[in-house]
Amino acid sequence: MPWRRPTNSGEDSMETELPSISEEEKDTLQEIMNIAFGKAAAELAEVINIFVVLSVPYIKVLKAEDLPEYLRYEVRDFSTISIVEQNFWGKFRGGAFLVFPADAGKALITMLDAEHETTFESGSMEILEKETLMEVGNILIGACVGKITELLGDVVTYSPPTVLVENKPHDILPERLFDPEYTAIVMKTVFRFDERNVSGFLFLVTTQDSMEWIKQSLAEFLEHYE
Amino acid sequence: MNELAQILDSVNLGLVILDTQLRVRYWNRWMETHSGIPAEQLVGSSLFDFFPSLNTPRFQRSCKSVLTFGNFSFFSQKLHHFLFPFRPESSFESRFERMQQSCSMGPLRDEDNAITGLYLTVQDVTELAAYEHRLLEMNMRDGLTGVYNRRFLEKRLEEECARHARYGRGFSVIMFDIDFFKNVNDTYGHLCGDLILKNISGTIASLIRKTDFLARYGGEEFCCLLPETVLASATLLAERFRTTIVEMKHVYQGMEISVTVSLGVAEMTAGLPSFEALLKKADGALYEAKRAGRNRVVVRT
Repeated sequence: MPWRRPTNSGEDSMETELPSISEEEKDTLQEIMNIAFGKAAAELAEVINIFVVLSVPYIKVLKAEDLPEYLRYEVRDFSTISIVEQNFWGKFRGGAFLVFPADAGKALITMLDAEHETTFESGSMEILEKETLMEVGNILIGACVGKITELLGDVVTYSPPTVLVENKPHDILPERLFDPEYTAIVMKTVFRFDERNVSGFLFLVTTQDSMEWIKQSLAEFLEHYE
Repeated sequence: MNELAQILDSVNLGLVILDTQLRVRYWNRWMETHSGIPAEQLVGSSLFDFFPSLNTPRFQRSCKSVLTFGNFSFFSQKLHHFLFPFRPESSFESRFERMQQSCSMGPLRDEDNAITGLYLTVQDVTELAAYEHRLLEMNMRDGLTGVYNRRFLEKRLEEECARHARYGRGFSVIMFDIDFFKNVNDTYGHLCGDLILKNISGTIASLIRKTDFLARYGGEEFCCLLPETVLASATLLAERFRTTIVEMKHVYQGMEISVTVSLGVAEMTAGLPSFEALLKKADGALYEAKRAGRNRVVVRT
């Protein structure tokens, strides 16, 4: 069942209020993400030996104030989660949230060969786990966002990633990044590291500020194909 | 020299530019100062020629993700301690052999947005890391005696019990308490009491192994964790604690004061449900030692 904003009245009046994007624009954006994620996955495998499968993305337009609830709903199957959050700035701007099941950090440490790289004192296993999530998150978010913006003709910079380890899903609160009155485009994809049997969600949330630019870039993107 | 170049050479931050082959293109004054390698000697060479320790999978992966995806990469002090093996700036800092660094890396692009290289920033966070260490220490040590505090002891105890459950080797604890300590405080004052607490904890700490943990458990009560130790050895050690303390002379304002201790010894066994139960058992033995006349060791099997 897809997530729907809870409304007091029976009719769903919210959708019409949003400065929304058209179905065609949505399809185009989805197509761009598809291409971007395909390229990102291929290059991650080729360049740094990280093998990740990225599912066909799903796009949803909603009001920013509904974001936390939407994200909570989407990850409801995880009892505890770890989240890597990273913001990006450019004409394309917003936040990326990578949601892992809580124990993913341990499984990914060996993927990066991180256990050999540092002499860490006892008790710093937590740190190693956290740093591993952060690095994998940084790489995956960077690759995905980087490829999308590249296709849309922009370059973005990133904030350092932050990580929340082993939280309850209700702790996802990206709202401070967004004005609740604003519209957000959420792009959701499922990622899977087959080798490690780890999978989770990547949410890219863009703000209303970049809406005009996205619409324009989508139009330009289409022109190349017509 | 233009203004920006002057700034790059005077900021308190290491700045490096590498080309796509990871050859050094720029090395600012800060890097020259701390590495002792002048830019002209190093520019044009591979960074790894001068810093082979940087040639790790993680560093390579970071460079590649920056050069391929335009990612930004971050090397935290917590995990990496440092990228470049420099000496700490202040000679007063003896805690770290190397300057602790927080580093970041990002892409550099030409007018067409093609990636032409990467930049590295190196920030000296030694002082911050030292503060953090000090705070962590304060959080686990007793302010008066310098031995571990109760919070740390309980955390450690839980870990040691888990280890015991896994490997099943001996694990014992000694609880001890200074006899008639209230009388000492009432007669000679609290400063004298403090002195005795310090003397005793210092002496006991010198009798145990590096792998044992001595903690101040309460006012004049101490607890000693002895991993990999069976009850018989722990009992011998407790007896040694007792005889050593009996012989100690505490000198306070020209007066010589002697005290005794009562000790309780217990070992972790499969039947004990938790680490609290182990402490309770040792505490019970200590109580028994008190009741039986003090200055003695009681063992609970």
